[in-house]
Amino acid sequence: MGVMLGGMNLMASAISVGEHPTVQWFGLTIDIDTVWATLIASVIVVALGLVMRAKVTSGVPGKYQLAWEMALEAVQKQVDDSIGPRGKKVIPLALTLFIFIFICNLFEVFGIGATYEVLPAPTADINLPLAMALYVIVLVHVAAVRNRGVKGYLAHYVTRPFPMWLFPVNLFMNLVDEIVKPITLTLRLFGNLLAGGLMLSLLAALVVWKLGPVPVGGILATPLTIVWKLFDTGIGAIQAFIFALLTILYFDTAMATEDAH
Amino acid sequence: MLIAGSNFLIPNGTFIVVLIAFLIVIGVLAKVAVPPLNAALTERQDKIRGELEAADQAKADAEEADAERRNTLEEARAHAREIVAGAQATADKTVAAAEGKGQEAYDRIVASAEAEVAVARQAAVEEVTARIGEIVLSAAERVVGREIKAADHQDLIDEAIAAVRAEAGNTASAGGAR
Repeated sequence: MGVMLGGMNLMASAISVGEHPTVQWFGLTIDIDTVWATLIASVIVVALGLVMRAKVTSGVPGKYQLAWEMALEAVQKQVDDSIGPRGKKVIPLALTLFIFIFICNLFEVFGIGATYEVLPAPTADINLPLAMALYVIVLVHVAAVRNRGVKGYLAHYVTRPFPMWLFPVNLFMNLVDEIVKPITLTLRLFGNLLAGGLMLSLLAALVVWKLGPVPVGGILATPLTIVWKLFDTGIGAIQAFIFALLTILYFDTAMATEDAH
Repeated sequence: MLIAGSNFLIPNGTFIVVLIAFLIVIGVLAKVAVPPLNAALTERQDKIRGELEAADQAKADAEEADAERRNTLEEARAHAREIVAGAQATADKTVAAAEGKGQEAYDRIVASAEAEVAVARQAAVEEVTARIGEIVLSAAERVVGREIKAADHQDLIDEAIAAVRAEAGNTASAGGAR
């Protein structure tokens, strides 16, 4: 146990959380690894889309087109079930979010547990989840104003969920609700991916654990890393799905008619 | 290149760069990739729906044709039954008519035969009665050895004739009753 505790001490000192190599552009601090990873993920997603466009057919689809169609149909069904036909404009956004986040999350498979990964998952940097969440929330509010008008949109903050005479409570609750939405949307994705990377760091640090002459950590590290990466791929898919699903549900709330509320 | 030791929960300038990258991805997929995919999907769904409708139509047609075939078959069977029943009735009638005619002819033949027999019998009886007197007289002459005048024994002769007639009548009535 003493050896293990020594190993733990070493691990604790070797593991860093959320550190990035940075550069200064126009006085702004830029996490250059995240930028690289984001650009590569963007190129991959755009290339996937262009290849699909070149191959697309209304006849018998290939496996590649079928995968795209499955994703599109899943999003369409979700949108139809919650928002209805008015939600058509949300479909491309939700589909892109799902595919883009999923590709970004897959980068975690390349991780080796180093402090600075060559190609880290860009979603493990708070900037990308926050950018996507704010974009979504801004669009949600725009949709709400378009749907209810400015007056209806503002009235919404004070007339619900309690009767009008409790409007300070209503205002407080609705404001908290609207402010929390982008934060939770960001942190859910970011936290899951950051934790995934952290787990890889912990598994890498396990290598130094020895019981006498037996390198227990070294023997365990590789299979555990493989198991974790398989599991983490599942987490990446689930988080991408949740982000897209919540986007649809926020639009649903924003576009709901007053009666349905 | 600087290594930042700042709080990882605080966004920095990276936000702007990745936001732009994300917007470009959204723009490309939403304008270039999703519409043709959606169009292909919708077109295929329409095509499949059309084919399913056509299949339903074909099935309905087949069912209709089958019902029609059954109706026709049933009609034909009913018709056949009618024809057979009609033929049977005709045959029965013909047989009955033939039987009636046969019986009539038989009765007629039997009746005429009986009439002829009766006439013949009558003729025979007449002849016998006509000749019986002579025979009796000649037999009596031979027995007595002299001429006997018929008039003298007319009552005896009449008695014999009546006996013959009664005998003949009995035979005729027995034959007629049979």
